[in-house]
Amino acid sequence: MGRTSKDKRDVYYRLAKENGWRARSAFKLLQLDEEFQLFQGVVRAVDLCAAPGSWSQVLSQKITDGHVVAVDLQAMAPLPGVLQIQGDITQLSTAKEIIQHFEGCPADLVVCDGAPDVTGLHDVDEYMQAQLLLAALNIATHVLKPGGCFVSKIFRGRDVTLLYSQLRVFFSKVVCAKPRSSRNSSIEAFVVCQGYDPPAGFIPDLTKPLLDHTYDPDFNQLDGPTRIIVPFVTCGDLSAYDSDQSYPLDLDDGSEYQYTPPTQPPISPPYQEACTLKKKGQLAKEIRS
Amino acid sequence: MDAQEDYIWPRATSELILLPVTGLECVGDRLLAGEGPDVLVYSLDFGGHLRMMKRVQNLLGHYLIHGFRVRGDPAVGDVDSQAMLAVFGSKGLRVVKVSWGQGRFREVWRSDLWSMSDWIWDVRWLEEKVAVALGHNSVALYNPMLGRLLQEVHCTDRCTLSSACLIGNTWKELTVVAGAISNELLVWYPASAADLEPVTPDRRVSGHMGVIFSMSYLDSKGLLATASEDRSVRLWKVGDLRVPGGRVQNIGHCFGHSARVWQVKLLENYLISAGEDCVCLVWSHEGEILQAFRGHQGRGIRAVAAHEQQAWVITGGDDSGIRLWHLVGRGYPGAGVSALCFKSQSRAGTLKAVTLAGSWRVLAVTDTGALYLYDLEVKCWEHLLEDKRFRSYCLLEAAPGPEGFGLCAMANGEGLIKVVPINTPAAAVDLTPFQGKVHSLSWALRGYEELLLLASGPAGVLACLEVSAAPSGKAIFVKERCRYLLPPSKQRWHTCSAFLPPGNYLVCGDRRGSVLLFPSRPELYPTHGVGIGVGLEVGGKAVAAAVAAVLSVGGGGEGDGSTPTEWGPVSTLPALHGKQGVTSVTCHSGYVYTTGRDGAYYQLRVQSGQLQPVLRQKSCRGMNWLAGLRMVADGSMVILGFHANEFVVWSPRSHEKLHVVHCGGGHRSWAFSDTEAAVAFAYLKDGDVMLYRALGGCTRPHVILREGLHGREITCVKRVGTITLGPEFDVASLLPLDPLEPGSQGPGLIDIVITGSEDTTVCVLALPTATGAAHALTAIGNHSSSVRTVAVWGASTPGGPQDPRPGLTAHVVSAGGRAEMQCFSLMVTPDPGTPSHLACHITHLSSHRLDEAWDRQRNRHRMVKGDPETRYMSLAVCEPDRPGLDPLVAAACSDGAVRLFVLQDSGRRLQLLAETFHHKRCVLKVHAFTHKSPGQRRLLLSSAATDGSLAFWDLTAVLDHGATALQPPAEPGFPHQLGTPCLTLQAHSCGINSLHTLPIGEGHHLVASGSEDGSLHVFQLAVELPELEEAAGEAEREPQLRVLEEHTVPCAHAAHVTGLRILSPNLMVSASIDQRLTFWRLGRGEPTFMNSAVYHVPDVADMDCWSVSPEFGHRCALGGQGLEVYNWYD
Ligand SMILES: C[S@@+](CC[C@H](N)C(=O)[O-])C[C@H]1O[C@@H](n2cnc3c(N)ncnc32)[C@H](O)[C@@H]1O
Repeated sequence: MGRTSKDKRDVYYRLAKENGWRARSAFKLLQLDEEFQLFQGVVRAVDLCAAPGSWSQVLSQKITDGHVVAVDLQAMAPLPGVLQIQGDITQLSTAKEIIQHFEGCPADLVVCDGAPDVTGLHDVDEYMQAQLLLAALNIATHVLKPGGCFVSKIFRGRDVTLLYSQLRVFFSKVVCAKPRSSRNSSIEAFVVCQGYDPPAGFIPDLTKPLLDHTYDPDFNQLDGPTRIIVPFVTCGDLSAYDSDQSYPLDLDDGSEYQYTPPTQPPISPPYQEACTLKKKGQLAKEIRS
Repeated sequence: MDAQEDYIWPRATSELILLPVTGLECVGDRLLAGEGPDVLVYSLDFGGHLRMMKRVQNLLGHYLIHGFRVRGDPAVGDVDSQAMLAVFGSKGLRVVKVSWGQGRFREVWRSDLWSMSDWIWDVRWLEEKVAVALGHNSVALYNPMLGRLLQEVHCTDRCTLSSACLIGNTWKELTVVAGAISNELLVWYPASAADLEPVTPDRRVSGHMGVIFSMSYLDSKGLLATASEDRSVRLWKVGDLRVPGGRVQNIGHCFGHSARVWQVKLLENYLISAGEDCVCLVWSHEGEILQAFRGHQGRGIRAVAAHEQQAWVITGGDDSGIRLWHLVGRGYPGAGVSALCFKSQSRAGTLKAVTLAGSWRVLAVTDTGALYLYDLEVKCWEHLLEDKRFRSYCLLEAAPGPEGFGLCAMANGEGLIKVVPINTPAAAVDLTPFQGKVHSLSWALRGYEELLLLASGPAGVLACLEVSAAPSGKAIFVKERCRYLLPPSKQRWHTCSAFLPPGNYLVCGDRRGSVLLFPSRPELYPTHGVGIGVGLEVGGKAVAAAVAAVLSVGGGGEGDGSTPTEWGPVSTLPALHGKQGVTSVTCHSGYVYTTGRDGAYYQLRVQSGQLQPVLRQKSCRGMNWLAGLRMVADGSMVILGFHANEFVVWSPRSHEKLHVVHCGGGHRSWAFSDTEAAVAFAYLKDGDVMLYRALGGCTRPHVILREGLHGREITCVKRVGTITLGPEFDVASLLPLDPLEPGSQGPGLIDIVITGSEDTTVCVLALPTATGAAHALTAIGNHSSSVRTVAVWGASTPGGPQDPRPGLTAHVVSAGGRAEMQCFSLMVTPDPGTPSHLACHITHLSSHRLDEAWDRQRNRHRMVKGDPETRYMSLAVCEPDRPGLDPLVAAACSDGAVRLFVLQDSGRRLQLLAETFHHKRCVLKVHAFTHKSPGQRRLLLSSAATDGSLAFWDLTAVLDHGATALQPPAEPGFPHQLGTPCLTLQAHSCGINSLHTLPIGEGHHLVASGSEDGSLHVFQLAVELPELEEAAGEAEREPQLRVLEEHTVPCAHAAHVTGLRILSPNLMVSASIDQRLTFWRLGRGEPTFMNSAVYHVPDVADMDCWSVSPEFGHRCALGGQGLEVYNWYD
């Protein structure tokens, strides 16, 4: 497979490179905004799980004179106007550091595009993703102003209704949205939660993680008809490119194709040492008698 | 009918689950394997192997099992025959007591299923209580009998964990080692909590560069092992971890895996690790790799267990396979390479060629023309003969057979051939069948009756020599029987030969890659006229030339005056293996197998004197030079070949490299021999003979407790039909389970199901109704990219409708990535000799690649541009109701097209007929259905795209009249245009992932679709045909399609609806990625929810439903990251 093969299979990957976005995810946030006007009146925003930083790029462009805090486990190349924190959002110390920046001046928008490194074991991955979402929600309860908005990636798997029921506690309007740049085949979608409105008497507590809800025989059944399923919206207009479609390299707009290298080279992976050793032929081998 | 009753009916129950094996544990002499919520129990049989004996169902409800913990203390009772187990996974925990007295495994008692507040990473028995390590770094003390939380203690650092390990036998000494997302290990003591306050970690240990997936603590040596995302395993000297403040020292950092390491296990003398690379490594505590177990497919090994006394390691894979391996310790003496020390003062010359006579006699020739023998029992070199004429060039081949028949042959550059009896070299016979270089030598053996030596000479002459021995054994006779002639080519010589049983034909391969069929004696040639006719008809040019040469009497044998006839092949498959040549031919149970340097092996068949390809298979990745093929005692085959500079014996069945020899590649002289006792591989290196020997032959040293299915996600499932086994097939003997499961009575019905997968293979599965088991009959791996869809047509029985015999036949077309389609036919017949009681025969019919078709067009039309990355998303076959018409197959394509192909000559030719870009975006589904009304039959196709729109097309005219019924192509050379749809409809607001229809009479059909947003859409479609008089002609009788009653269920599911089936006018079933299988009542306005079942397979991509029999009811198969089969009754 040549280097152009990914460009053919994934039109958004290619467009991201051509438009200077650090990741194709940028289009997801842009398309979510098309539908929900997420950035209207936003001055302060938090971008959780931000690396390599395409959402932060979008935020810093859309929120002029604003204040964006970006957080990720991974180091991220600097971006003008974006304050960066490196850390695990499920960890207390990271959460405290984020909250510090919003004391007295709460945020209007919290976004989280967090995805665990999938292991391929579906139940583990779904759980891990849910924990990221709940950790982000926990942070949001500390920094979000009433009426504020929270957007997060969500895996629509077996227990997604438990997350919906959890989010409904804090927000007046919860919608599940799928930008057209996210593939049909992917279980990924985004919850757009508007109108932050915690229950009366709710006191945010960082030291206690928010745990998953459980199935409830009255409101949210495991295998019955009563389930909390939030409305689903597809966003991005229909004339947008179809992420499932394969396009020829010369797109219809008449432009001639030219290969563009990735905007951000991949960050150093945890297995770098193993790769280096492998390249040098220094991985341990079976001993032979 | 009252609502209550409706709610209960129909109830689907899970009868078979194939999922990644995520928990394994040895208990006594039993092995417990977690698969989904079920436990499989294996026990030792008399041969010392494990055998499946029971499935304990549904221990964890909708959770999946991730581990077992056996209660260790003797309070439980007789530890040799019973055990108390804590079974956990996800947030679920249950305790079961099992016993296996008197050879029967029984579940004595089980607690309720307890749900924890958070994910369970580890469980440890503390006498009758358990400690549970939870997801956000807390520990719960729990009474598992009563389901009561006694105490929960948190660590101050409440981050999410990726693993945890509990140590100690009492709450007081309980130690937690937690793997945090920050890659650190946190060691803390729950009992040190004052007033249930969070506990500060006692120690933080860092070192890994990625998260930690697994830990193992070895109490006796004070060692801890960790496995990580960073692809390494670390060994830590920790002493007694239960003592606070101890020193932690990293004493080993083991890099050996080529992907993430999922599991680690410390044994007294070994460290076992296994990971995403599907390899299980056995390390010494010093960090050397002692053994490597390879064979699992797909995304890795998920579970590891060990039985130290038996020296077993058991691994469970993502492919749902379970394998057992033997630990052999350091320096396993069973296999190895040794130098045979040829070089010596007394032996002049350097070695030129080596061969093996059986697996313990090595023969070698030098550049002085001397032939030497090395006998492994005697362990020394013996000089057999010396003949200067073989100085500059010498071929050497030992005869086949267990002891090499005691014969070998040498040949030189001047046409001289010497056949040598190894035990009496003085009795060697010389012969010069032709003048000129002998290019190649090969043997062919028929039983013990007939032995031929074939020698290729100049100009394609192939001399066939009969070799026989005098009854005394002292003398041998070599006589030329006849001469064959090879098809012309630059390197015109043969490379291999074999008798085709019963022995009337010889099959040969040549250097040009062709496979040739010769009658084994001239008398067996058909009379000339017929012979030529047959040859010309099928073989193409090469054969024509060769057959013509049969007539040119006197074409060879220049110089010696005689003019022997040269016989051409009666059948040829030209260049079957490409330019690099055929390397071997093997005949076995009615088939011919050939291997080539194109990395492929073929299954062929000879019918009416003609060679026919049946199936082409690729060997494992990177093994591009196949050298041979052997049938093994267990009925499977192994492939010999070269993988870079290694010689490899590879098993396609177990995906294992059974033998690997670092020989430097196949370009130097080498020989392979296998007998029941041993395999041997000899090769020349640095002027010496190197010999690899392994005892036990080619059979697998390891045991497959359960075969894996697909290595990656299943993308499509299709049921082909059901086979009824007669009473002669004792169904009970099929049963691995005890006692009989319900539903096992009645006739032996076996459903045949086809699955396609991202692992690029198509699998044929047998699902007996009696056992709830699944047997993979065969896997077909001829796609170059992932398989996304399969369609079946022409299902029948062997012998056809006139002479039905038990079994099933069908034609299958599969398609997927890189716009590739493959057609094959399938025949499944009863066979008492196999575990499934079935034999499956596959014949490959045709392949089609859109980019290849485009490339051909491009030569003629510069404008054609297509995208080779186009994926076929879905296929639908439209079968004609009259004989003589070819079926059509419609394909939903990712480039926005619906394409129509004709399946000509029963699928032997696949041709693109028409296309339409109506949808302008990725088309996800196509579905074909027939509309019947009195005297009328219309074939309709529906297509669905990512924008939620549906389109309906009438294909009747295309089916009847072919392309003439279509609009001509936009430009010559392009496919025809499918025209405009009869009806379009915006059914959903986003992608449609499932589509089905059902005729409901009065010219109406129910159409149902399910979407990415979890919604269902159901409507009635009225098909109206204009009266005959109104329409001008048949072709113009376009049907009118109208939408009648339309309903939408917006939040039917919480994720994509990927499976949908209208079972009857008032019942529908849907399946979704939210893991619910839901029944809907239709026909009374909006579809209403009846009931749903939570299933275990994630990411379900496809579902098929069928009814089996009145006794057995209905079945449905769900394919995704695994396979699950449900059953329900009317
Ligand atoms: C899909 S990427 C985000 C892409 C980003 N929105 C952009 O547009 O460039 C997901 C990120 O989640 C981060 N992540 C995963 N788990 C995390 C955690 N516990 N804390 C912080 N970041 C995490 C990963 O490091 C990864 O960079």
